[in-house]
Amino acid sequence: MIEVKNITKTYGKKDNVFRVLNDVNFTIPDGASVAILGKSGSGKSTLMHVMSGLDRPDKGQVVIDGQDILSMNQKDIDKFRSTAMSFIFQSFFVQANESCYDNVSLPLEIANVPTKKRRSKIEAALKAVELIDKKKSRARELSGGQKQRLAVARAIVNQPKILFADEPTGNLDSVTGGVVEDLLFDYNKRNKVTLIVVTHDEDLANRCDIQIRIKDGEIESVKGKK
Amino acid sequence: MRLRDVSIRAARSLKQAKARTLLTSLAIGVGAFTITLSLAAGVGGRAYTDQIVSANTDIKELSVAKAKPQEQQGPQKYSDTSSGVATGLFAGQYLNLDDISKIKQIDGVVSVSPNYNPQVRYISGPSGDRYLAALSTFSPSVTLKLAAGSTSGDLADNEIILTEAYVTALGFSDDQSAVGQTVNIVADKLSSPLSNPESRTFNYVVKAISSKSGLAFRAQSTLLLSNNASKTLYDYINQGTRNYGNFTVTAVQAVSADKTNTIKQTLTDMGYFAQTAADILGVINTFINVLQGILLGFGALAVITSVFGIINTQYISVLERVQQIGLMKALGMRRRDVGRLFKLEAAWIGFIGGAVGSGLAVIFGLVVNPIISKALDIGDVRLLIFEPLNIFIVVAGLVLVAVASGILPARKAARLNPIDALRTE
Ligand SMILES: Nc1ncnc2c1ncn2[C@@H]1O[C@H](COP(=O)(O)OP(=O)(O)OP(=O)(O)O)[C@@H](O)[C@H]1O
Ligand SMILES: [Mg+2]
Repeated sequence: MIEVKNITKTYGKKDNVFRVLNDVNFTIPDGASVAILGKSGSGKSTLMHVMSGLDRPDKGQVVIDGQDILSMNQKDIDKFRSTAMSFIFQSFFVQANESCYDNVSLPLEIANVPTKKRRSKIEAALKAVELIDKKKSRARELSGGQKQRLAVARAIVNQPKILFADEPTGNLDSVTGGVVEDLLFDYNKRNKVTLIVVTHDEDLANRCDIQIRIKDGEIESVKGKK
Repeated sequence: MRLRDVSIRAARSLKQAKARTLLTSLAIGVGAFTITLSLAAGVGGRAYTDQIVSANTDIKELSVAKAKPQEQQGPQKYSDTSSGVATGLFAGQYLNLDDISKIKQIDGVVSVSPNYNPQVRYISGPSGDRYLAALSTFSPSVTLKLAAGSTSGDLADNEIILTEAYVTALGFSDDQSAVGQTVNIVADKLSSPLSNPESRTFNYVVKAISSKSGLAFRAQSTLLLSNNASKTLYDYINQGTRNYGNFTVTAVQAVSADKTNTIKQTLTDMGYFAQTAADILGVINTFINVLQGILLGFGALAVITSVFGIINTQYISVLERVQQIGLMKALGMRRRDVGRLFKLEAAWIGFIGGAVGSGLAVIFGLVVNPIISKALDIGDVRLLIFEPLNIFIVVAGLVLVAVASGILPARKAARLNPIDALRTE
């Protein structure tokens, strides 16, 4: 369970203070799929960064399974992120010069997974996104859709508990975007992994269990399917 | 993240920027090349002088003169009591027989052998042809390279060591057959009246043939007699002349090498100018050390320049890879590991530069050593000696320098805010 409590985040100083997030509160049950919706600049990405401990808010708590990750020290928060979370970004951020295999290997190396155990995990992840035949290809040779599938493989390889995706289909056409969406929801359903998707896309949002709408840094509405 | 994984990633990103890596390494490689060469030249040079000195002097021996030779500052005052020598360059005083006997009294002195260098008329052998000859005194502890015969201990007073060049000139068929044969030396008695010149023939048995060596200066040109034989010749030639019993320098043999310093002190207190073999070696080595220092200075300069190269390259590398760093930090890579990644990249640059530079220096040495030896005509002596430990220290030192240069860029990378990094498209 993820509990977001009284999160406030500001930028700037004194006369020029800008509230990106203003007293945000909500709760996400384990294994849910959640869409965070809102206009550009409304604070969606910032919220995602705060929830994952990448960014520190001015006030508030992010409690994951009973533990406030914002009160952890940097070392523990890094460890938590390397073992329990992963990310997919709008612009992929795959390493163009590295092979697909090495791209997917990165989170395992960061999480100190022993070398022997890596191969099977990497190959399973590449199979899941149907890129196993591109194992040795450099990432720069892939198409946009393939790159994002590679990013998905990298995100799922270490079996995280929470998967954050910031506009995962924003740079893809609707067909390839659909493939990536299917991969994410499939993974979410099958492994009971919490999926948090930041998106503009209403259709994508409607496939999620919960829709959280943000406007000017404040929660506009939280809707669940049930 | 494990060190192994970090260093593999560091090596991989260097491989991706091959040209840049190589160019940066090249700068440090120039430093490695110069430093390795200067160290090799120092080792080789000192070894060479060591050999020269041991081939020409005896560590138990001191060289003693009346007073430290002075550079001539205008004409020197003449004195009736002591005879002096004046050349274009320096003026000094002779040691006389009084001095020799005083020196003989010093505790620890075994023998005193003034440089007799008897000026003989000629030498001849079976062929009957006459040749000019320079003679000097044989010292048993000076290493000679012998082409034939052997010397065990001192020479007998009727024995001579010839050089190879004299063998055929004097009429022997080869080195080996000359050993055991007799040669004649004819000397003039200088004090005999011009109207009735007197000369005498001295006979010597050839004990050994010294061959030309890159090390032994004396053996190359002079024929060697025992101390007594030299004295006999000298006495015959010079007795009765004004210069008899005057020597510019004398060799003083000590009981043991560790006695030489106390003897030197006594001699100095008595007003003589004494030098041990170590002093002579020291003078030559100072020269070599200065040369080596200059070379090392150039090497250090190259290394300092390369430090800025590494800092620059690594800063560019950090800026180029802002996204990668952001991603790695988002995935939970620790600051320390991000810093390490960049420091290790710098370490690789240092290692490549160091290894390539010192490797080239070794190859250079292999190629150039025989050329130098030939040009200087020093036989099979190597002037560049590469010690594995020195090379290891150079490479390790440069790796450390590179890591130190990489600290600032690595810190920049480690402190990068992942959110800012991921925002850059
Ligand atoms: N470092 C910063 N300094 C000042 N303002 C910032 C900074 N980072 C973000 N902001 C502001 O915070 C607001 C929210 O940004 P955020 O990236 O969360 O928007 P978003 O909802 O993800 O928008 P988009 O849909 O375009 O990605 C924006 O107005 C942005 O300009
Ligand atoms: Mg955004």
